[in-house]
Amino acid sequence: MGVCGICGTAQSDGEQVIKAMNATMRHRGPDDEGIYMDARANLGLGARRLSIIDLEGGHQPLANEDRSVWAVLNGEIYNFPALRGRLLAAGHSFATRSDTEVLVHLYEEYGIDLVHALEGMYVFAIWDAARGRLLVARDRFGEKPLFYSATGGNLVFASELTALLAVAPSGWEIDPAVVDAFFVYGYVPGSAAIVRGIRQLEPGHMLLWEVDSRRPDVRRYWAPPFFASDDGTPVRDLVEETRELLERSVRARLISDVPVGVFLSGGIDSTLVAVLAARSIAGPLKTYTVGYEVGSVDERASARKVAALIDADHHELVVTTGVVRDAVPAMLSRVDQPIADQAFAALEALAHFARRDVKVAVGGEGADELFAGYPRYRWLARGARLPAWLPRDVPARVAARVSHVPKLGRLARMSDLLSGEDTLQRHLEWVSDHRSTRRAELYGPRLRELTDSKVLVDDAGADVGQDVVGSLMRLDLLHWLPGDVLMKADRATMRASLELRTPYLSRELAEFAASVPSSVHVKHGGKMLLRRLAHDLVPARGYDIRKTAFRSPCAQWLRGPLLPKLREQVSESALYSDGWFDRGTVGRLVERHRSGQEDLTNTLWPVFALACWYDAHVARNDG
Amino acid sequence: MTASLYALVLTPDFPPEFGGIQLLMYQLVSHFARVNPAVVTVKSSGAAAFDREQPFRIVRVPSPSRRGRIAALNAGALVEGLLRPPDVVLCGHIAASPAAWSLRQALRIPYVQYLHGREAVTRPRLTAGGLRSAAAVIVVSRYTERLARHYGAHDWKIHRIPPGVDLPEASEGEQHDGSPTVVSVARLDQRYKGMDVLIRAMPLVHAKVPQARLRVVGDGPRRGAYERLAEAVGASAYVSFLGPLSDQERNAVVADAAVFAMPSRLPADGGGEGFGIVYLEAAVRNVPSVAGAVAGARDAVVDGETGLLVDPTDHVAVADALAQLLTDPSQRRALGRAAAERAREHAWPIVAGRVEELLVKVAERR
Repeated sequence: MGVCGICGTAQSDGEQVIKAMNATMRHRGPDDEGIYMDARANLGLGARRLSIIDLEGGHQPLANEDRSVWAVLNGEIYNFPALRGRLLAAGHSFATRSDTEVLVHLYEEYGIDLVHALEGMYVFAIWDAARGRLLVARDRFGEKPLFYSATGGNLVFASELTALLAVAPSGWEIDPAVVDAFFVYGYVPGSAAIVRGIRQLEPGHMLLWEVDSRRPDVRRYWAPPFFASDDGTPVRDLVEETRELLERSVRARLISDVPVGVFLSGGIDSTLVAVLAARSIAGPLKTYTVGYEVGSVDERASARKVAALIDADHHELVVTTGVVRDAVPAMLSRVDQPIADQAFAALEALAHFARRDVKVAVGGEGADELFAGYPRYRWLARGARLPAWLPRDVPARVAARVSHVPKLGRLARMSDLLSGEDTLQRHLEWVSDHRSTRRAELYGPRLRELTDSKVLVDDAGADVGQDVVGSLMRLDLLHWLPGDVLMKADRATMRASLELRTPYLSRELAEFAASVPSSVHVKHGGKMLLRRLAHDLVPARGYDIRKTAFRSPCAQWLRGPLLPKLREQVSESALYSDGWFDRGTVGRLVERHRSGQEDLTNTLWPVFALACWYDAHVARNDG
Repeated sequence: MTASLYALVLTPDFPPEFGGIQLLMYQLVSHFARVNPAVVTVKSSGAAAFDREQPFRIVRVPSPSRRGRIAALNAGALVEGLLRPPDVVLCGHIAASPAAWSLRQALRIPYVQYLHGREAVTRPRLTAGGLRSAAAVIVVSRYTERLARHYGAHDWKIHRIPPGVDLPEASEGEQHDGSPTVVSVARLDQRYKGMDVLIRAMPLVHAKVPQARLRVVGDGPRRGAYERLAEAVGASAYVSFLGPLSDQERNAVVADAAVFAMPSRLPADGGGEGFGIVYLEAAVRNVPSVAGAVAGARDAVVDGETGLLVDPTDHVAVADALAQLLTDPSQRRALGRAAAERAREHAWPIVAGRVEELLVKVAERR
């Protein structure tokens, strides 16, 4: 449907609240706005819409035949044509062609279990006026966001954090524990939000709210299955099934009443998507890639080769240093919740660039998590199998010795991964580039108590059993994917009012991937099934098998175009004057990085991103 | 009346192993009345005890390895045929067709070739060769009939004889008590059987029929994956895996169910369900089926008459069909009755009689 921002409330001054929240989400849905109020129950729903399907008839909120069930939807229900057909056959009558209307009739059929019928990326809210029950549900992987706050019998929810902040009754405060987690991970993990009292609905969860109880009842309806053990299925058959499911998923994600393009990085994931998409559409496929003036990271050559193979109408964006200087700080400031993913700005720039031709783009997100694209999985598995006679501290000692020898960086990282007892901890250290060990020197007084705390991820999947690789893949699916990858994808593209669709994140494909043992996935350098599929589908090897997603030359940016902003932050940002980080230490690290003595990008970038966000949101709030 | 005819039956699949082809071959030779059969198959564990109980001769060919068993079977079958030449050969699987073909070349013994489905897709060249030289081809469904034509069998050669079913004994007891139980019976190894789609459908069935549950009979290497899937979709509480059961236990579980479900789909490479004897085994116990509207299942289940056929890749369609049958007892009973009536026409003596007739005809033409 492409409605791109929804909100709702269960409190007395509902209408103003909805209006205020809608106003903050204009960028998510520039084409239309709608409000529904149930005055008796003090219940309101709001929506801002970017029209992609049923351009004329898709106005929201939308009701069933007797106007007792109302719904708003952010995202897409990809299997809605089939569902609509089934509902029509069962006697439901439809007033529009939109997928939102499918939700209300599906709710009439299955109640809250309708989630089990849906395939897509969505957050929706359904108000059942007769029962006095509100249902809010988030898709299985967390492609679309939802923040909520439930205090004193009131409920407010919205697609973006800033919408809730706009209607917060009095001021709001930052949660230090979440700032700590943000610094270590580079994103806000799990159900937390950076502002106290606000939570995120986790992927595969639903929230129920009844007018009688006035308390949120949060339930999980889906979780990624644990990886299976080997069932002896021949690899040939597994590759065939991957192909069939991916083809079906790509086809479903090309359904649109507006033009669709592909974000092509030139790696295996987006190459497969582009090749399959090119086969499903008439005429040349529009493809988009991004490159840079500085640094060694440039994927244009690889993407160009793939585009030529499929006769794509290919477009390249070059992010110049001027653009980096002017636009990147603004991008990191505007986002509703801070994010330190180094490719965020490049993705947003690419989204604006592609938006000139298309409203919808398809990308390769999720493939690395489902099909084991990250090299760390293999190394951690090896660490778990180290011979017993080897003293446990040998790898750590090797790591310490070689960590400052530039040419041995790879050896250092590997030794590092092999050291230590706790696989989960080592995994977290790897993904966070050991930022937890830097906390003592970097944190200011407001975070100082947390410098030794165990930052963690709640329950989910933290139990690393026999299947080390499978457990870590699942952990990444539960935390890293929604918290970083999909948060980045949603915000970067929504800012440009462009919808990003992700064929790998199909429920069937994910359940299939989990039915293949992790030991098969990591064979031949990882991502074995996609590699074999690419071998079948791409005649010449035009793709770069080493690369995964879009990357950015942030190290050079922090020495060049972003250096003035970085220095300005060190002297002026409220992040330091408010006591979160230590001005002196960060200042020294900035200069150390600038001089080239050490690459401190992974430490400085989260602080930089956080300061951008903090000065735009918190300083304003206080003032 | 024809004098007793000696038929050599070649099959890599034979009890005590489980499976559709195993059962079919065994039931045929057990029910032959005018034909005197001998079976050539491969060695398997526990076979000696089983073989001693049988009234017909069974030649077990030892094979050096799992991969070498087909070659061993063909060699053994050829030696057996040359030493004791039969009047006719019933080649139960395309894998054994090289031996059947050789006997035809050497001694002009005609052979009748069985085609079940999936093997045609995995062994296309052998299939084309095996069908070309056969005196007659038995296909188990319209779907395999199409495959047979596709691989070059002439229409006049093709005989469609679906597999059969054992009629329940009177002692099996009364069936279904009215609880909304769905049952599925399958070896949990092949993905195309659609167990994943069935598990995905269960939360939706459960939404409409809160007492609904699914019982899965059978075992195999995929069982763990299916159990994890049931957990992932929150259905563990009402989806249970009973593991491998004896025939008797399995029949009791099936008879006790309201609906039988196995939404087999067409795998990417073709193949799929050749027919699906399990649908008949449910039918004969008055249990209607929900099956995929593809491949051989379309012959095993008559849509709207003995069960419901749906898109086997669409779990919502599967769920709706199950919920429909679970919530409409009168329709369910009507379908169950019709299913039982139709299944009785597939009793093994009738099926074996048709195969026998064909063997006699082919032998006479020699």
